Amino acid sequence: MRAFEVFRAQNRSQALALLGEHAPHAAVLAGGTDLLVEVKHGMRAPRVLVDITPVGELGVIELTAQGLSIGALATHSAIMRSALVREHCPALVEAAHTIGAVQTRNLGTLGGNLVTAVPSLDSGPAPLALDAFASIAAPDGMREVAIADFFLAPRRTVLRTGELLCALVIPSASLGKPTAFLKFGLRKGQALALVNVAASLRIAHGVMCEARIGLGAVAPTLIRALDAERILDAQPPSEALFAEAGRIAADEARPITDFRASAAYRRELIRVLTQRALALALARAGGKR
Amino acid sequence: MSEITLVVNGEQRALSVAAETTLLELLRAQCNLTGAKLGCDVGDCGACTVIVDGEAVNACLMLAVQADGRNVVTIEGLAGRARLHPLQEAFEACGSLQCGFCGPGMILSAKALLDAAPDPSAAEIRDALAGNLCRCTGYTKLIEAVQAAGETIRAAATGPRRAAGQE
Ligand SMILES: Cc1cc2nc3c(=O)[nH]c(=O)nc-3n(C[C@H](O)[C@H](O)[C@H](O)COP(=O)(O)OP(=O)(O)OC[C@H]3O[C@@H](n4cnc5c(N)ncnc54)[C@H](O)[C@@H]3O)c2cc1C
Ligand code: FES
Ligand code: FES
Repeated sequence: MRAFEVFRAQNRSQALALLGEHAPHAAVLAGGTDLLVEVKHGMRAPRVLVDITPVGELGVIELTAQGLSIGALATHSAIMRSALVREHCPALVEAAHTIGAVQTRNLGTLGGNLVTAVPSLDSGPAPLALDAFASIAAPDGMREVAIADFFLAPRRTVLRTGELLCALVIPSASLGKPTAFLKFGLRKGQALALVNVAASLRIAHGVMCEARIGLGAVAPTLIRALDAERILDAQPPSEALFAEAGRIAADEARPITDFRASAAYRRELIRVLTQRALALALARAGGKR
Repeated sequence: MSEITLVVNGEQRALSVAAETTLLELLRAQCNLTGAKLGCDVGDCGACTVIVDGEAVNACLMLAVQADGRNVVTIEGLAGRARLHPLQEAFEACGSLQCGFCGPGMILSAKALLDAAPDPSAAEIRDALAGNLCRCTGYTKLIEAVQAAGETIRAAATGPRRAAGQE
């Protein structure tokens, strides 16, 4: 590997200070499962790594006045084990379980997944369907950004140089909202998503409301299928309507052809997976009524 | 260079490491523990799997400085003086390995699983081993060995209690 220096931050303010001191040549190091691979492949050559793994407060998962706060340093395994996430946002557990394999899930963190911001990131769709927001520490204070606005382009987020992602917050209003996450990859284990989708909805007086469809790997960034969401609003749920929503979502997306799959194949996956995720979310809504 | 201390296979070690040294390089080059293998070097193959604070991780993706203060178990730490670990015995008895290159990582992934869940289902075993690629065996005998080792470990755990009940 190319030579670099590592500084191990012991708390949040030290991490911010180190990032400020060594900007723009510094990179945050969490689990390293993206960053170290990029450094080894020569895609990035930061001169300084600020290791935030000793900062315990960044890994905390807790209920706050705002909702369920999941620290950026929470590993995918910690999310799978968390009684709070299991109870309030089980779709996040389903998503975490599809990421890499055990060894990568034990190292890789939620924050690293979100900040790497590849279009296929598996931690993204469920927070998108749950109106989550990111809590970010800047040198001059904290700011919050909706996950829907967090991703700017492939591998680019709203984070500015020197900023730290502290937590993902699922707002109180979304806790317990019936949600489903589905991912389709070329294999069951260790495969990036060809398409991933999270759908959430509520049923009130026999009709649907607050339907959300978050899609990954189908455009330069994660997207919400807003037109498909709209046709569900205030309608009684039906398979026919979910099929129509799947068709509309496939039209809204802008999938690409690459070595894993063609754009046409991805569109077909979007159609089918969206329909299935909506049906699964509905089944879960049924259990809760 | 940074000074780190860590426990490797029960033994406390103080080492001086360069920033870009991975835990895998540290174990192989500085600790002379060559059981963990360098396969892909980027997290895909699992040949480098070791257990850190009870969890299986890719040693190729952890910096040595990040292992400061932590407890590392490698394949060299499994066998006792008198006998092999039940997983090692089961891998031998079931003929689970061919070339053996995947073996140390495979066995440590299985150990992390059995330590947490001594009676795993076949699906749980597959999930636990999904990050360990084997180019030789076709996996079936690996899974059988983990099941067999689980039985041995469970029998050993319940054995003394049964004996106590008979007194
Ligand atoms: C074998 C393998 C399989 C994988 N499979 C999948 C998969 O199926 N699905 C999937 O989505 N991903 C997958 N990944 C990608 C990766 O594991 C995840 O994206 C992981 O969550 C990254 O987290 P990390 O802690 O390792 O991040 P790091 O590598 O430490 O960091 C990643 C990036 O985020 C930045 N960063 C990290 N934390 C913060 C923070 N708190 N604030 C600001 N910036 C930060 C870093 O500077 C870096 O740019 C896989 C990776 C490997 C090696
Ligand atoms: S060498 Fe670490 S996963 Fe392949
Ligand atoms: S026995 Fe040869 S790689 Fe597994």
